[in-house]
Amino acid sequence: MTPITKQFRDFFVSLKLTVVLIALSIILIFWATLAQVHLGIWGVQEKFFHAFFVLEKIPGTDVPLPVFPGGYFLGGLLLLNLLAAHIYRFKLEWRKTGIQLTHLGVILLLIGELLTGLFQKESQLRLDEGESKNYSESDRIIELALLDTTDPNFNEVVAIPEAVLGDGESLQHPKLPFQVRVQNYYPNAMLQRRDQAANSPPAIATSGIGPQVALIPLPLTYKPNERNAPAANIELIGPEGSLGTWLVSPLLGMPQTLTYQGRTWEITLRFKRFYRPFALTLLKFTHEKYAGTEIPKNFASRVRLKADDTHEDREVLIYMNNPLRYAGLTFYQASFEGDHTTILQVVRNPSWVLPYVSCILMALGLLTQFGIHLVGFIRRRSAKT
Amino acid sequence: MCLHPPVFAAFSLLLLLGGCKDREITAYRAPKDPPPAMSGALAAENSPPGPNPAQPNSPGQAMASTPVPTASGTDLTWSAPATWTAKPNGAMRKGSFSVKGEGAEADLSITAFPGSTGGLLANLNRWRGQLGLAPLGENELDTNSVHLDVAGLQLVSVDFAGNTGGKPTRILGAIVPNGSDTWFFKLMGPDTLVANEKPAFLEFLRTIRSR
Repeated sequence: MTPITKQFRDFFVSLKLTVVLIALSIILIFWATLAQVHLGIWGVQEKFFHAFFVLEKIPGTDVPLPVFPGGYFLGGLLLLNLLAAHIYRFKLEWRKTGIQLTHLGVILLLIGELLTGLFQKESQLRLDEGESKNYSESDRIIELALLDTTDPNFNEVVAIPEAVLGDGESLQHPKLPFQVRVQNYYPNAMLQRRDQAANSPPAIATSGIGPQVALIPLPLTYKPNERNAPAANIELIGPEGSLGTWLVSPLLGMPQTLTYQGRTWEITLRFKRFYRPFALTLLKFTHEKYAGTEIPKNFASRVRLKADDTHEDREVLIYMNNPLRYAGLTFYQASFEGDHTTILQVVRNPSWVLPYVSCILMALGLLTQFGIHLVGFIRRRSAKT
Repeated sequence: MCLHPPVFAAFSLLLLLGGCKDREITAYRAPKDPPPAMSGALAAENSPPGPNPAQPNSPGQAMASTPVPTASGTDLTWSAPATWTAKPNGAMRKGSFSVKGEGAEADLSITAFPGSTGGLLANLNRWRGQLGLAPLGENELDTNSVHLDVAGLQLVSVDFAGNTGGKPTRILGAIVPNGSDTWFFKLMGPDTLVANEKPAFLEFLRTIRSR
């Protein structure tokens, strides 16, 4: 073995590495717990755990600097460390079966968390009674959608993610006959009718509802029960010059339209949509409370599932701890508004089964290990007497 | 324990990967949205005045599904009469009660929003608009509202009677500036029921405190 390979091996199988990584993980979790006050749960997950490094901006600049190892880094190294140590020290002995099984469980748990972090997609489906939807919406991620609605049967959509809007650049897409220029972008803003907002600065928007609306930038909110409502002024530029500037925000609710070169376009800033090849219709939402209290006993949504491609058309009852699993998605009864509106959490997690398997493995491993010790102990005792 | 250059190289690669974000512009063909359902359209009837281009065909529907920032400052507290039944607050409300009597039901909502949300007159006229009443002018404000001083809070309370959908309807309301936020207390329902509840509502307003 060359000295370099040996150095690699010794580094990755080292128990010291395990201790250092666990100590760093404790610091990371402690720091993230404190940071949750300002960042909220999603912000903390993104910044501390679903990241290789915790990045902080150099004061006075926008340059991010890695200041601490993040969750992926520590978890990844722990996984490598565990795997390497196992391969290096592995001996096939029945007395060690329990420990091997337990460690295999831990390895699977780490892999499962990594896969969940990488591939899990969550969105929400909000339905009023009688309403059908063939898409769910992100509850945090925003997109600027430009829809060509000319065809009576479908829309051609170009969706620009919020992260790109924040750059404030001009964008050209092959499906768009015009250039999209982000004049300014606010991550959180409130809108008011201009005639009701005293001393508001002049409107930047020239088309649509924008000129009648005053935009009031707000600080970002990180509270779990509040959402940021971004706003932007978007200028569309054709070969002949500017087509106008539109104020967009999810608070506007309805999209604004323009006609250009004989085609009708809609421009809207909305929560990111995930279209599905099936539709859900809320037939009935029921909300039971414990008698004489406001404590929810049960809330349930009776929905109709109708697929476009197959002949699936059935009614499903979704209630707490009884989600609908369909097409790789899980629909959980998450929340509600009033007595006639349900909110379903829509989760795609290809690795959802791994934590269950790893817990079973760990439990089996621990039982085996303690069982082996117990049997040995009883044998020794009976040998003495 | 010693870190060799290749280890650093591997870590640098991880760092680069960590910098990648979802920035891809996507283009796809999507089915048209199914026609909106009619129920639940008034979910946001109490949101502050804002642009609502959806007015011609679906008032409220457009705003109902959109988030509105609610107040983040100190909360107000109150004690409601025992005859009122508390309801779930939902996403928008800070407090919610059902007021029943004479076989009818009125809704009491408590909401809060940052800033002045358009000012006192605009908000009172929004309520008047919900009852089909003509908007008030600036000079009519004092004759149509009552100022109350409750534990250091300056309340403006109103009593408007009008019509919704041909039925006599009344709003008893109070607007309470609290720090940088504005709080709205609004009891809306059948005219006679709400009129009968007026003493209880005024008593309720006197229990409001800043936490």
